[in-house]
Amino acid sequence: MRNLFRNCLYQGKNLFRDFGFSFWSLAYPLILSVFFYLSFSGMMNIDLENINLGIEEGNRIGYILEEIEILNIHNISQDQAIEKLNNDEIHGFIDEDLNLRVKKSGINQTIIKEIIEQIKQMERLNRPIGNYDFEVDYILDRNQNANPIIVTFYSLIAMVSTYGVFAGIVTVILIQANLTNIGARLSITPLKKYNFLIAGFIVALTLNLFANGVLFIFIKYALKIQLFNEIKYSSIFVILGNVFGTALGIFIGASNKRSHNVKTLMAVATTLILSFLSGMMGPHIKVMLDKNIPILGRINPISIISNNLYRVNLLESTKSVKEGILILSLYSILLIFSSYMFLRRRNYDSI
Amino acid sequence: MIVKVNNLVKRYKELIALDHFNMEVEEGEIIGLLGPNGCGKTTAINCILSLLSFDKGEIEVFGKKMTPNSYDIKQQIGLVPQEVSVFDNLTVRENIDYFCGLYVDNNNLRKQYVDEAIEFVGLKDFIKFYPKKLSGGLKRRLNIACGIAHKPKLIFLDEPTVAVDAQSRNFILNGIKKLNKEGSTIIYTTHYLEEVEMLCKRIIIMDNGKDLVSGTKEELKAMITTSEKIVVGFSTVQDEVVEKMKNIPHVIDIEKDGEDYIIKFENGFNNLTNLLDFIKKKDLTYTKLHSQLPTLNDVFLELTGKELRD
Repeated sequence: MRNLFRNCLYQGKNLFRDFGFSFWSLAYPLILSVFFYLSFSGMMNIDLENINLGIEEGNRIGYILEEIEILNIHNISQDQAIEKLNNDEIHGFIDEDLNLRVKKSGINQTIIKEIIEQIKQMERLNRPIGNYDFEVDYILDRNQNANPIIVTFYSLIAMVSTYGVFAGIVTVILIQANLTNIGARLSITPLKKYNFLIAGFIVALTLNLFANGVLFIFIKYALKIQLFNEIKYSSIFVILGNVFGTALGIFIGASNKRSHNVKTLMAVATTLILSFLSGMMGPHIKVMLDKNIPILGRINPISIISNNLYRVNLLESTKSVKEGILILSLYSILLIFSSYMFLRRRNYDSI
Repeated sequence: MIVKVNNLVKRYKELIALDHFNMEVEEGEIIGLLGPNGCGKTTAINCILSLLSFDKGEIEVFGKKMTPNSYDIKQQIGLVPQEVSVFDNLTVRENIDYFCGLYVDNNNLRKQYVDEAIEFVGLKDFIKFYPKKLSGGLKRRLNIACGIAHKPKLIFLDEPTVAVDAQSRNFILNGIKKLNKEGSTIIYTTHYLEEVEMLCKRIIIMDNGKDLVSGTKEELKAMITTSEKIVVGFSTVQDEVVEKMKNIPHVIDIEKDGEDYIIKFENGFNNLTNLLDFIKKKDLTYTKLHSQLPTLNDVFLELTGKELRD
């Protein structure tokens, strides 16, 4: 126990002062979050000001819609509407019965739909529609649930929760006599390999959770984005992401004799590809994959984390929580067991 | 017997790194493994320490078979590896404390040992430095401190003075003598002749994975034909006169080394007097004349046909 504590202390110091950790676990997620914030915010602003909506001449709510600043109203016939929808000249068309016609789904179409839904609801409640400020209602009351930036941030958090991968790699290469000089030196001391690895695992988890915490604080207070409404399951998935990431790092570190830099690149590539497939580079990738290869979202660990963060925080649904926890736990156990098979050898043919 | 290696064979695919290598180390001695780079010194150490698997042979350390799980044996061993092997992001003191702590649990004792090791390698002014801020020589000293802080009974030093400045080198060599005086048995590998001559009680000369000969330096030198070398320089000398020098009693060979001649004598007495008589008789003028005992390089040269520094 005492040995474990000392190993945690010194491995922690060694890792915390390492440039690789500072960059990949602390700085890189912050840079990415700012990058996403800037790029997606820009996109949102442009779209919100230019929603082209077609309505039939003489539509009874036309005068209300014209009052909403974010809408550009086009008075057109139903035939013209089909043509303009096909040419992407309008985002949607509302007939005289307040039925919405769109050609594809998207944020602008969602906004139109919500406005129409509100008008219908007001009508059903016999409230005076003319006195209702739809723009204020829509922009202020509408929570940020449908904002694609939120979905992207869940993917980002899912990705960085697995960044214990870097510390996992460092832990393994430091104890392997055939990979580093320190590994050779440690191998002739009375230090038991598993003692060092357990300490490395604890350190990797602790430091990456710390780095995740820094990112969450940055997102909440600097970017002013509220991501977590549900703490229990969010914490479980972030911690499981850390366990999975560290186990992946230990596996990458133990399974081949490549250099530290190559192993780091392997880790970056793996997490980046999984994140890309989970929709981090844009929700449309995720939508397309969910439609064509639905199984991918259920087995991709980063998708599992980001999907569950989205569901428990925004949809208040815990439907897929158990399945997610089970799959992530299985992955972690599998990776640790495979790593053990590689690490159990006690001496080497060459070093 | 602290270490006993019997007929050790280690192959790297087609290459035979150790070819029936033998070594015996007595308690309290400094034994030198001397040989050119690539002769198998480090491989031998790594096999003894159970870092490397081997194909054949037996290894005993402290009278027990050495295995990767021999933690009780490892507790009594210290290694100073050839490459500086320390944590880049721990300070000098933290590095020494970490490695010492792998052997010594007691906090007070460990602190005392760490302080003594820092003092021993002369790094007192650098305890808060990170290794990358240290010069090559100081890094080597840190490497040594990490290997010896826990006061091991048996210390392996694998070429600890490679790429070290003269000041650090003397510091290291004097330190090794001190460690030995304090009771540690030392196995020292090097390809520097002067170091083994200065440090080691016994020497094993290695080449191509084999232990060619072993013994004290006097015993090794007594094994070869040449027992004395006289270096002489002449203002002028005819080739036929040089040829006639071969008739001086006990001369076995004459080599030209620049402007000088190295005359090798086998066992015999009055070699220098006989040479001076020859010079006087031939009315030669010498510019330089001195006698040398054979070196370990001569031993190596005679045993292998090549210079140790080749």
